[in-house]
Amino acid sequence: MSAAPASSSVRLPEFIRTTTFRWTLAASGALAFCILLMFGFVYWQTAAYMTARVDGILVGESDMIASDAPERRLKAIHERLSQDPRRIRLAGLFGADGGRIAGNLEILPSHLPMDAPPQRVSVVRIDGQGREEQTARAVARRLQDGEVLVIGRNVDELPELARIVERALEFGLIPALGLSLVAGALLSLRAQNRVEIVNKKVQRIIAGDLRERLPTQGLNDPFDKLAGIVNGMLDEIEALIRSIAGAGDDIAHDLRTPLTRVRIGLERGRESAQTLPDLQGVVDQAIDRLDQSLAIITALLRIAEIEHSRRLEGFGDVALADVVREVGDLYEPIAEDKRIAFKVTADVEPIVRGDRDLLFEAIANLVDNAVKFSPEDGCVELALTRRGDDCVVRIHDSGPGISASERDLVARRFYRSDNSRHTNGVGLGLSLVNAIVKLHGFRLTISSGPRCVVEIACQALEGRSAAEPASLHGAGVARQIADRR
Amino acid sequence: MAKVLLIEDDSETATEIMAELIGRGFDVDWAATGIDGLDKARRSGPDVMIVDRLLPGMDGLTIIQALRKDDIRTPVLILSALGAVDERVRGLRTGSNDYLTKPFAIIELVARIEALLRQPADNRDTTLRVGPLELDLLARTAKRGGRSVELLPREFRLLEYMMRRKDQVLTRAMLFEEVWNYKFVPQTNLVDVHMGRLRRKVDKPNEPPMIYNVRGAGFILRAPA
Repeated sequence: MSAAPASSSVRLPEFIRTTTFRWTLAASGALAFCILLMFGFVYWQTAAYMTARVDGILVGESDMIASDAPERRLKAIHERLSQDPRRIRLAGLFGADGGRIAGNLEILPSHLPMDAPPQRVSVVRIDGQGREEQTARAVARRLQDGEVLVIGRNVDELPELARIVERALEFGLIPALGLSLVAGALLSLRAQNRVEIVNKKVQRIIAGDLRERLPTQGLNDPFDKLAGIVNGMLDEIEALIRSIAGAGDDIAHDLRTPLTRVRIGLERGRESAQTLPDLQGVVDQAIDRLDQSLAIITALLRIAEIEHSRRLEGFGDVALADVVREVGDLYEPIAEDKRIAFKVTADVEPIVRGDRDLLFEAIANLVDNAVKFSPEDGCVELALTRRGDDCVVRIHDSGPGISASERDLVARRFYRSDNSRHTNGVGLGLSLVNAIVKLHGFRLTISSGPRCVVEIACQALEGRSAAEPASLHGAGVARQIADRR
Repeated sequence: MAKVLLIEDDSETATEIMAELIGRGFDVDWAATGIDGLDKARRSGPDVMIVDRLLPGMDGLTIIQALRKDDIRTPVLILSALGAVDERVRGLRTGSNDYLTKPFAIIELVARIEALLRQPADNRDTTLRVGPLELDLLARTAKRGGRSVELLPREFRLLEYMMRRKDQVLTRAMLFEEVWNYKFVPQTNLVDVHMGRLRRKVDKPNEPPMIYNVRGAGFILRAPA
């Protein structure tokens, strides 16, 4: 029986394996390295400073003693050594043959060059307390009478300094590292908990609960921001799915109704038509109804095309006032035929970023509706004005208007207000306008009331008007995409 | 007799189209696959081609590309169940001359084929004439006989288009696409209203009519008999 290898059974806790924790580890490592570098630098600089200072003193003292008269030298050496309670001063006077004359050095250090700057050497100190080997900084001077003067100083302080630095490191670095690891672990655990909560919510959404949203804690941290973005996306998806589900029923209804009529009409015609003109009448009616069904399919495909293909590639700079005037030109005779007073005004000449054909289609659709629903001798006004930073295309008509309760519904596919049941059309015009306006990141508002006012608020390109040459602005699209969120 | 090559994989649709075109005096050849169609287009040199967009074996756009590469400039009308505006643009860019979305009225197809066969000559004249009607393209003025006809710019454009295609049936969709250059389907009978305006100016009550309404199809401009 042998135990399983330890490594295969050891599994690190989940929070240690998170990226947050790994980043914390990396940051702590980098911090420790920096602290080590800093302390090393402090030690190096301090040691160099102390050594230079000791060397300066040694050179000064040796100069002073060397310049003394030979009979005063012994006294000076003696004085120097006697005022040394810390036992760090070293001095020695040696004869020309190297024999010891005075001082606390047993022998002339062998590697100490004459008349050179102070060096680090190993010396043997002898005094009343015995014989001791020490590391010292020392300088040797050959005197005029051939004797050799050695002045030195014990530098055991330097290793002491290193030990102080080490202790400072121990007291500072280890707790700091520990603290950062704990903080990393806590952050990692917290992130993991939030991921877990989000995961539970997401699982519920996947399971079909489309009303579920990711939790936010009101902290404005990246997690909250991300949750906000995802929630915005979920709102859009929920609305889309609901509209698709609703559209399915609407399509079934609005397509089956004319097709049923076609079928019944054809059946009856086949049975009861007595003459060729009778039969032709039935067939003509059937063709009309088929055309109506086809128009619905065409409009639906068109909306799908606009909503899903996100045709930003067709975007360019559009002189909106020109589009408004062109729509006016197209519908003016139609309004006139209905004796509707049709007024087209453009107070401003803004340039907007968009697809010219689609914007034309949207405005034309709204004017089409306005003319269609206005009674004879009524009035329709198409105006382009500025309001704050936006430019607004406003279509105003004297038709029956839309009640507050119907306002949101009219942009839904196939919705036809009760007032419009007896007017031609497939009930998709406003859905189409809505899709186009959304694609551009503009806003569509329908005001309630006895007179209908529909507005499209567009962002004009900053500081641009139709008088200026048009050039492509990538920022415009980026802003619209951002605004759409 | 104009030779038409029809490349369409659905035999029922092809039969109907052929019956209609033969009834109108065209010489029609049919290919059910792209490869066969391309082969026939190269060998028989038709005057005009009708090509389905989605075909087994070889796609309609590929056929047109292959022909254009061989420098065969036969006018082509694409038939397509893909009605999206982008598809239409792609089709026209590939080198086709017109694009018709399925389902279509057979009269619309015939009108477009006639139009392709009678592409307006590259007429450098600055004055267009049809019977007593005269259009001065430089001065932007119109006259019928000795009578001056006051036209708005949009009416001038419409009349110019019709005069360049006299004696041809022009459907509402053709006019809307070509004269107004719009790519959507209007809900209202826009073209009829504009045409009504133009007609009232061109054909006064005491004059023989020149603009005719072709029931179920569109309009035609013709010199009075």
